[in-house]
Amino acid sequence: MSGSVLDVKNVQKIYGKKGESQSHALKGVSLTIEKGEFVGIMGPSGSGKTTLLNVISTLDRPTEGLIEIAGTNITQMRRNQLADFRSQRLGFIFQDFNLLENLTVYENIALPLSLQGVPSKEIGTKVNKVAQTLAIDEILQKYPVQISGGQKQRAAAARALVHDPAILLADEPTGALDSKNAKSLLETMSDLNEKHQVTIMMVTHDAFSASYCKRILFIQDGKLYTEIQRTGDRQAFFKQILDVLAELGASHDVR
Amino acid sequence: MLFKLSFSSMRKMMKDYLVLLVGLVISISIFYMFQTLALNSDFTKGNSVISSIQIVFNVGAFLLAFITIFYIVYANSFLLSLRRKELGMYMVLGAKKGKISQILFWETLMMGIAALCIGSVVGIVLSSGIGNLLMNLLEISPEGYYPFYVPALWMTWGFFLVLFLITSTINAIRLARATELDLIRAEQQNDSIKRKGIGTILVALLGLLLVAAGYYALIEIKVLQVLGLFIGAGATTIGTYLIFISLLPVFVQALKKNQKLNDHQLHAFTFAQLRFRVNSLTKVLGTVAMLIALGVGAMAGGLAFQQNVDLISSAQHVYDITLHDPAEEDFQALHKMNVIEQNTYRYKMDEKGYYFVKDDLLAHPPLISTNTFENYSSENKPKRVTEPLPHPAYIMYANQDEHSNLEEVPREWGKAISTEIIISYDMLSGKAVQIVDGATYDGIAGSEHQVLLAQVDDYLKYKPELKAMDQRQKQWIKTIHEDEEREVYLSTKYSTYEAVYAFTSGTMFMGFFLGIAFLAMMASCLMFKILSGATRDKDRYNMLRKIGVRHSLLIGSIYKELFLVFVFPALVGLTHVLVGMQMFSFILLDPYVNIWVPTLIFLAIYAIYYYITVQLYRGIVLPKEA
Repeated sequence: MSGSVLDVKNVQKIYGKKGESQSHALKGVSLTIEKGEFVGIMGPSGSGKTTLLNVISTLDRPTEGLIEIAGTNITQMRRNQLADFRSQRLGFIFQDFNLLENLTVYENIALPLSLQGVPSKEIGTKVNKVAQTLAIDEILQKYPVQISGGQKQRAAAARALVHDPAILLADEPTGALDSKNAKSLLETMSDLNEKHQVTIMMVTHDAFSASYCKRILFIQDGKLYTEIQRTGDRQAFFKQILDVLAELGASHDVR
Repeated sequence: MLFKLSFSSMRKMMKDYLVLLVGLVISISIFYMFQTLALNSDFTKGNSVISSIQIVFNVGAFLLAFITIFYIVYANSFLLSLRRKELGMYMVLGAKKGKISQILFWETLMMGIAALCIGSVVGIVLSSGIGNLLMNLLEISPEGYYPFYVPALWMTWGFFLVLFLITSTINAIRLARATELDLIRAEQQNDSIKRKGIGTILVALLGLLLVAAGYYALIEIKVLQVLGLFIGAGATTIGTYLIFISLLPVFVQALKKNQKLNDHQLHAFTFAQLRFRVNSLTKVLGTVAMLIALGVGAMAGGLAFQQNVDLISSAQHVYDITLHDPAEEDFQALHKMNVIEQNTYRYKMDEKGYYFVKDDLLAHPPLISTNTFENYSSENKPKRVTEPLPHPAYIMYANQDEHSNLEEVPREWGKAISTEIIISYDMLSGKAVQIVDGATYDGIAGSEHQVLLAQVDDYLKYKPELKAMDQRQKQWIKTIHEDEEREVYLSTKYSTYEAVYAFTSGTMFMGFFLGIAFLAMMASCLMFKILSGATRDKDRYNMLRKIGVRHSLLIGSIYKELFLVFVFPALVGLTHVLVGMQMFSFILLDPYVNIWVPTLIFLAIYAIYYYITVQLYRGIVLPKEA
């Protein structure tokens, strides 16, 4: 597996014990993300996209199947290994920012490095560098309550990127932002992807957000439904996405 | 319908309510326990060496009431925070505000009454349990102490019912004032970070100054008397609060400023949590420090009184055993003891007095104590009498007109005779004591006797034997007076010990009783406050877990953070105790004897609370791992 960062093979997730009422959240999903890709995951609510993100981000274990991130099989890891893996190889951006409001922006961003025991001096340089990239170097000493939502999400992105993760996992990153801030964040993300070769997987239900991706996987009822590749400009891709969504909705209604 | 709903949701939140209920029960039972002593003034007056003990209890009752009010207010806002979201939801769905306020009012009151019922029972059990434990441990039997004491019960119910009524009303009013949205959006407030400026430094300085003044007043209590007690208590208390308000946040801030320390692992988070805690817990921490001081102080005071019994008797008497005309049983008993020194002196007795042989005394000069009550030090070791006796005869306890031609017994010899040899005032009754040379002695017609002085390794090891010896000596005195009905009071070392022990055991009992009550109250106060805020921290720990912080690191962070929270008030409280014990220096020979015992008891109670708090907190903020 030359350039693949993420390899998901036939992953199933079943909630509930055997013999009781079970719900199949994922019914055998397989996908591969290459290094430097910007992949979107779309689907209606209840389709299993959050479950997929949870098993990939090691917060949840799949019932069946194999997940490899950067060549490491994460399905067999123990609890502490998983925690270390998360803190070293993965970067997260959540819808509600998930910044610790009792730490300054600087301390929030520094946290993944502190956990790895990086020397204080090196932490300083790395945090400042990533803060400059995301244009938040002015607010490093402020607390999350003192900055805007857009800034918060940039700070969260900085925290997700500061330790050079193999892949950046974003869960509805624009969900709590106004359109202007959302646009600016998406531009930054596609910038990171293009100029810094950051591999990104983004879960979203918003077509506009998804149009910034290069490839989009649609899932429905716990299975991959279809996938589309961006070929032309963003505008055209946006239309393409809407078409698929309409199709999805239609198939839903008819049955 | 709404009542039914609220009841079922209370059942669902059983765990949170349990924390609340336990907190209330502890506070009620301790309040009751305290009142069983405070209101029983016959017992306190009869069993104390401090005449003004009632003042101490009144101050204590006031303090406890004060702390309890705080406690209830915390408990109440905790209750409100548990319920407001749900009640807000009912209001959004169209329930009338008056109805909701009413529900909350009754809920708070019911909760309080339930806590009162359980608390009274627990209080009675606790009082009798601790009472019995102390009586057994301290070998005392305080007559007149009742674990089930009706006035105390009345007091407890009255006090808490009024408190609960007030808080229920406050809750209802608070709810009536809030809007629906306020209620639903509760909990989303952030920790405000206040910048500390010059004002803080001034407050810190003022706090330090007040504590210093309080300490000074306590150390100079001999000069200042009761005034010193009030200045000491007042200034130290206010100073403590000021220090916790100002100095501690600054200290934690300084910890955070250390970039290298702060960047290490989870320290940034740990310190941030700690800062939030010391900012929101300033008053609690101050209260805890004061309670520690009071609790440990009460125990140390009680213990010091008991330990001083030994000191008092040892400061008076060097020889553990004084036997006039020892009997066969006495020798048998002596034979079993580990005797360090033993001297025997001959003397004759007639109706005018006692005549000791100078040569016997000079051959084995006795030891005398160099300690006085006014000037006590454990460094003052007993010394041997060295004064020469050149004259043929000396006299003491003489009638003014008689024997005026004889020399007065020199000071040290006089002390040896009066404290070590003459064991009862009843021995004298008009008789003089003479030291005479051999020739004079032979010429005296009276009956011949001897007295044995002995020093053993540790006289407290031989209490029963000593008691029997004293009994025989009493009989001996009765016999020489030929008066069997006579009441004889001995002043041997053991008799002194027994008398003072009986006198101080009540004080010690109260000291330990109060000490344990204060400590239990203090620690539960701290525990409760930390736990009631724990729900807020849940999200933070969840967040950390998501970004990949090891479980063990999170647990470590909790241990460290709470350790520091616990350690600050302990340090301040113990310092207060160390200085505050000076207060007893006017009544005790050495207030610091065995101070490590109450300190250890305190540390044990404290450590247990620390551990329980960490475990409970962990249970709230860290989800169980699959």
